[in-house]
Amino acid sequence: MRTVRSSCALLTALLIAAPAAAQDVAIRNATVLTIANGTLENATVLIRDGKIAAVGTDVTVPQGVQVIDGTGKYVMPGIIDAHSHMAIEGGINEGSESVTPEVILPVRDDDLTIYRALAGGVTSALLLHGSANTIGGQGAVIKMRWGKPADSLYFEGAHRIVKFALGENVTRASSNAPDSLRRFPKSRMGVEQTLRWWFSQAQEYDREWAEYRERARRDRNAIPPRRDLRLEALADIMRGDIKVHAHSYRGDEILMLMRVAEDFGFRIHTFQHVLEGYKVADELAKHGAMASTFADNWGYKVEAQDAIPHNMALMSSRGVVVSVNSDSGERVRRLYQEAAIGMKYGGMSETEALKMITLNPAKQLGVDHLVGTIEVGKQADIAIFSAHPFAPEAHVEMTLVDGKVYFDRSQAMTLRKLIEQRNITTTTEDDR
Amino acid sequence: MRAAAIVMAALVAATSGASAQAFPGQEGTFVIRGATVWTGTGQTLENANIVIRDGRIEAVGPNATAQGATEIDARGKFVYPGLIDAYTPLGLAEIGGIATMNLRSELGEFNPHMRAVVAVNVDSDMMAITRANGVTSVITAPSGGVISGQAALLNTAGWTWEDMAVRPTAAYIINYPREAGFGFGFGGGGGNPAAQRAARERFREQVQELETVLRTAKAYDQQRTAGSEEIDLMYEALRPLMQGRAPALVSADTEDQIRAAVELGREYGIRVIINGGDEAWKVRDLLAQNDVPVVLGSIQSNPPQDAPYDAIFAQPGVLYEAGVKFAFSTGGAANARHVPFHAALAVGFGLPKEAALRALTIWPAEMFGAADQIGTIEPGKLANLFVTSGDPLDIRSQVSEVFIKGRRVPMDDRHTRLYEKYNARPGGS
Repeated sequence: MRTVRSSCALLTALLIAAPAAAQDVAIRNATVLTIANGTLENATVLIRDGKIAAVGTDVTVPQGVQVIDGTGKYVMPGIIDAHSHMAIEGGINEGSESVTPEVILPVRDDDLTIYRALAGGVTSALLLHGSANTIGGQGAVIKMRWGKPADSLYFEGAHRIVKFALGENVTRASSNAPDSLRRFPKSRMGVEQTLRWWFSQAQEYDREWAEYRERARRDRNAIPPRRDLRLEALADIMRGDIKVHAHSYRGDEILMLMRVAEDFGFRIHTFQHVLEGYKVADELAKHGAMASTFADNWGYKVEAQDAIPHNMALMSSRGVVVSVNSDSGERVRRLYQEAAIGMKYGGMSETEALKMITLNPAKQLGVDHLVGTIEVGKQADIAIFSAHPFAPEAHVEMTLVDGKVYFDRSQAMTLRKLIEQRNITTTTEDDR
Repeated sequence: MRAAAIVMAALVAATSGASAQAFPGQEGTFVIRGATVWTGTGQTLENANIVIRDGRIEAVGPNATAQGATEIDARGKFVYPGLIDAYTPLGLAEIGGIATMNLRSELGEFNPHMRAVVAVNVDSDMMAITRANGVTSVITAPSGGVISGQAALLNTAGWTWEDMAVRPTAAYIINYPREAGFGFGFGGGGGNPAAQRAARERFREQVQELETVLRTAKAYDQQRTAGSEEIDLMYEALRPLMQGRAPALVSADTEDQIRAAVELGREYGIRVIINGGDEAWKVRDLLAQNDVPVVLGSIQSNPPQDAPYDAIFAQPGVLYEAGVKFAFSTGGAANARHVPFHAALAVGFGLPKEAALRALTIWPAEMFGAADQIGTIEPGKLANLFVTSGDPLDIRSQVSEVFIKGRRVPMDDRHTRLYEKYNARPGGS
């Protein structure tokens, strides 16, 4: 029985892993939540060569274009998850040292979470290291091209992103147990000094290279400094070539990191979790940092005790660009429900709430010129819902990436029937 | 938008000024006027009034009224019976990650005499946050071992745990032993043959131990009924279970576990409720035939890798079709208030809304022997109900009033206090 069942799972994966060939598509007669230009009723979205070619109520669908009937359905930009640990090969923490910006996450293509995320309308995600290190390493922005090899998942044009982390998780990496690793830093104070020490080193390194380049113009025999990939990455961070996404909880540590970055001439691009961001919202806005948070996740550790669901609305109302992320292979499947929580607590508007899973995370990943709204010229990453995505009766009908259907609920339902039949017919006496 | 938020906060302050009395709330006589009332008895009354007196619902209807009562204008709003989270550590657990704030489990495998009710923290921040979304009762459960102890059915507000308890012994928590580590495919199939044998042996031992305890409990109960005065605290504690006065809430997720749990109920004459039941859909006919209900594990969880992607979302709809009764649970304390949104996920995948509402109210009340006290809006029942701007399954709806045991509960909690403080910070855009 088990063999049969597992081969069914494989069959599911294979069938679903074969998206429709590149073809022009029109979604007709749907309610379109454009994010950029309001909500359009009875509208058509025309997709050509994987991009949005036309949006509106008076779009003519050319012959030969595959039509998806959108009657009664809601169409929105594909959901973007700005904090995920899916599709990562091996562990997510390089736990040996606390500062490892040279480490780069390897992407894998066979994580079922990609498919389940698609089934929740998700089309892109930022894959990040864990939070054991002050500076954990470089992440990856992917599209949910389920079934394609790992190399094809990378989202071209996205930022280079490095994960920082503050607070309990970083300091917890050392414990007092006799056999466990003892590692600096062990306090929030130590985290600040770790950052200052390493960025001072990187400044020095950068200066040595600048001096060398200057010398080399006159002296062909000038000897270059020894290359150091770690310091090189830190220098890239200071230049803004790698954007910082910082795991953070408390207001004090968020403020500390902004001040450290300012002292070294760079900016924290996005704070992750940032559960007490509402306490320093004005400072975040002034620094120019964005925020990617949980909708309503609190009380699981001391630094999450002051997390409130009004965080999104409060930060947003003071000018911070806010997204809602999953940080979980479970929540990623229902981010549309998480975003609705922004309306419940603190009174966000519907569009602001929808932006938290579309345009705002796109900005945080550096892909807002490519995706995040339904606008002509953007890549056709689209989710089709059975009802308004915030309504209790909503589920995802179809998810398109680059204009191709990667998830189709009707197909999934057919497969479910097949699998259920198989399970029942093969559950015979010898299995019991 | 900030201005609007401030105005809203001011309005909230003004309306709650009338009930300035602190937690657990203002007592007295109340008339809620002009609401659409979902009674839970199959009726939805338009433009109806509800009279609350001495902690109970006195009358419901278009002309129901009371002299000298505190009036609550609910025109354009909706009233529902208080929602129930049917499995949570609420009251026993506070900040996760701090061991001393999560004392839910006793040492040893068989602890039917441990009572959750006596360890409930009345002033838990999580309790206040839970009730603010209309969740007025919970099953608070101990954990660990094979028999963890007694879960209580509690209201989420009260002066003491005695005041809060609706059923101090609502169910016995039994964790059906699980044969670990043998699933084919992901997360299983590992282990050397010797380790597998040892694990299988341990599983068999645990099942035997459980059956021995139940057999002994049955004999003990018969002896006590026959007049024996020899008291054993553990077996004494199991008498209500053996006499059918309280059910066993049996954790069982796999098909095999569920079948075994149903069989356990039949063999020892105990009333079984399945707890978790990830694969209940596979044995739905068996559950329906034996009238065994299910407290669903968190809907916000992933199915096994070889199951359909929506197996957990779709299960309540499938069980409903088959005639199996169920309740929703969050399994957590911090977000027990989200229990209606768990139900909403099931509605998105095929469960009718009416059934979802029943599974949040009257069905768990029935399962845990409290249908005469809570679960519907009917005269004589405890006044556990809430006023909301819309469908309680819709995250966007705003709960404006909560009554628990007839008390008008203050709507502030740790979250709203922090919100109001920082929303009032000068500056900003």
